Amino acid sequence: MGEIVFNKVEKSFGTNKVIENLDLTIQDGKFTVLVGASGCGKTTLLRMIAGIGPATAGQVLLDGKDITDVAPGKRDVAMVFQNYAIYPTMTVRENIEFGLKNKKVPKQIRESRVVAVAQSVGLTEYLDRKPNTLSGGQRQRIALARAMVKQPRVFLMDEPLSNLDAKLRIQMRVELIRLHEQLKTTFVYVTHDQVEAMSMADDIVIMDKGKILQQGSPEQIYHDPNNAYIAQFIGSPAMNVLPMEGGYQYGFRPERVMLSHEKPKGTLLCRRGTVRVREMLGSETLYQIAFQDGTMVAVKMLQDTFQMNEDVILSVSKEHLFFFGQDGNRIRRDETTALYCRLLRTVGGTSDV
Amino acid sequence: MMKEMTFDRLITNDESKELSLKRRRKQFIRHLPGDILKLIVVILFVFPFYWMISTGFKTYVEAIQTPPTLWPHTFTLSNFQKISEMNIDLIMYSKNSVLITVTTIALQMVIMVPASYAFAKRDFPLKGVLFGVVLLAFMIPSQLTYISIYLMMSKAKLLQTLWPQIFPFGANAFGIFMLRQSFKQIPEELVESAHLDSASELQIMTRIMLPMSKSAMITIAMFSFISIWNNYFWPLVMTTSESVRPLTMAIQKLRDSGDAALQWNVLMAGNVILVVPVLLVYVFASKKILNAFAYNGLK
Repeated sequence: MGEIVFNKVEKSFGTNKVIENLDLTIQDGKFTVLVGASGCGKTTLLRMIAGIGPATAGQVLLDGKDITDVAPGKRDVAMVFQNYAIYPTMTVRENIEFGLKNKKVPKQIRESRVVAVAQSVGLTEYLDRKPNTLSGGQRQRIALARAMVKQPRVFLMDEPLSNLDAKLRIQMRVELIRLHEQLKTTFVYVTHDQVEAMSMADDIVIMDKGKILQQGSPEQIYHDPNNAYIAQFIGSPAMNVLPMEGGYQYGFRPERVMLSHEKPKGTLLCRRGTVRVREMLGSETLYQIAFQDGTMVAVKMLQDTFQMNEDVILSVSKEHLFFFGQDGNRIRRDETTALYCRLLRTVGGTSDV
Repeated sequence: MMKEMTFDRLITNDESKELSLKRRRKQFIRHLPGDILKLIVVILFVFPFYWMISTGFKTYVEAIQTPPTLWPHTFTLSNFQKISEMNIDLIMYSKNSVLITVTTIALQMVIMVPASYAFAKRDFPLKGVLFGVVLLAFMIPSQLTYISIYLMMSKAKLLQTLWPQIFPFGANAFGIFMLRQSFKQIPEELVESAHLDSASELQIMTRIMLPMSKSAMITIAMFSFISIWNNYFWPLVMTTSESVRPLTMAIQKLRDSGDAALQWNVLMAGNVILVVPVLLVYVFASKKILNAFAYNGLK
């Protein structure tokens, strides 16, 4: 069990209100990722669950029980910190069992749990070493082991991979997914990296300026973003969002674009442009295409067929276009066809050729 | 037409050796003024020490001879013998010194660690003001407090005990300040993580903060040790009977031990006895002390 409910939660630092009247449910057993730019309040929420930065007002419930004012050590949660927060003067073993010792878990149980956890994260042979003799990846594992050994109802992770190099980060990502699969406990993971959010989450919560913009599965958020901010935040390279008349905006993902020399047949949005930047990444190629009015858009292609400064025609089909209103919010229903026609008239397309 | 390119000639092995010699010579000359200055500083500090030790091993005649001799021409242990034959209970004085020093330092630790922890890691009302009060205590010269403390101790009927030499030094303002700095450098997450690990405040202090501030602790204890061990004026004012006086006051008695003139050689031999424990402690702790300063200097 481990369902977390935030009920009308508020947090202020001095006179500065960072979170106001926030409601959120984090489902039991899910891998939930809180994602957003720095300062959006995601770590503040995590610290509320941990009890190390209590809410100023409102309630935090764990499995229906109000834990808003419960001491951190009595909450049945474990946390992995960004800088790991490993006790440097203790050995790996002492680090892992510190929490159990303080909870007066009997020695025998303690030892067997430490051994089991150390084995599952691959630290068995380092148990009697000091953390400063170990690598960054191994320290990360100590922090994980220290959380796992407590068998908590909720795992909290605050950007745990951001201090690792790129290769190790990808490896740890896979291990965390497998760990969650194996433990089936609630994971709450905070990151500013949308790739981490997309790759690991069952449920993504996108935050900005202390507010929740959208909550949903990675597929939902990628295919059906609520507004232009989310559309551009999720996906790499970011979605191209361009202005159109009437203050509206339209957008399309770089991977949904077709590039060609001739105007393709069918009903499509078409625009002429020139290749300005070409990045050949092996499995794919990224282009920056400049339109005649100077705006640049990103394009991702599997084939590497175009060269620098080549003139191309960029086309996107209707189902891959997103429309946003003046306030940046997504326009989803009937209106889109009208907007599409208007867009084709002003920008150009093959339907009226 | 192609533009002609020029290359610098690559040097041979022999030339490389010669070049490195040249560079080293240049470096030596560049560092010379600094090195000389350092040497002067070392001599300034070491010479009084050397003078004390060498005088302690001289005869009386040699000790007062002009021009003075740089090292004892007739090396003698008779000064130490003389001290041991005198009617001064060195054991008692040493015992007092050790008792006072150890108890004071222990008391300081008990007060200093929680205070520093609170100032470094906890929030409470009037924190800034209270820390200011601690600093104030650090700045007030102890001479100003002599009379009031004497009266206080007298009213408490403690003058015939060692306590007047212990209690007033129980709160070490400098120590609280320095340990707080050291605690402040410990990341907040470690404390938070310990809270999540169900650790009590006492456990956080003893199991996490203190082991990480070993250097600072040793430095503070060392400074305390030296200042309490060498304290002369305070016990002179606070004590009336010999039975509670420390070693420093015994040394003072040596001065008047001669028949007529000041016995510098005996006095210096006594000082050697006084200083040996300090030196021993320093030898064992010097690395940690340097660490504490180097570490504190970084941030």
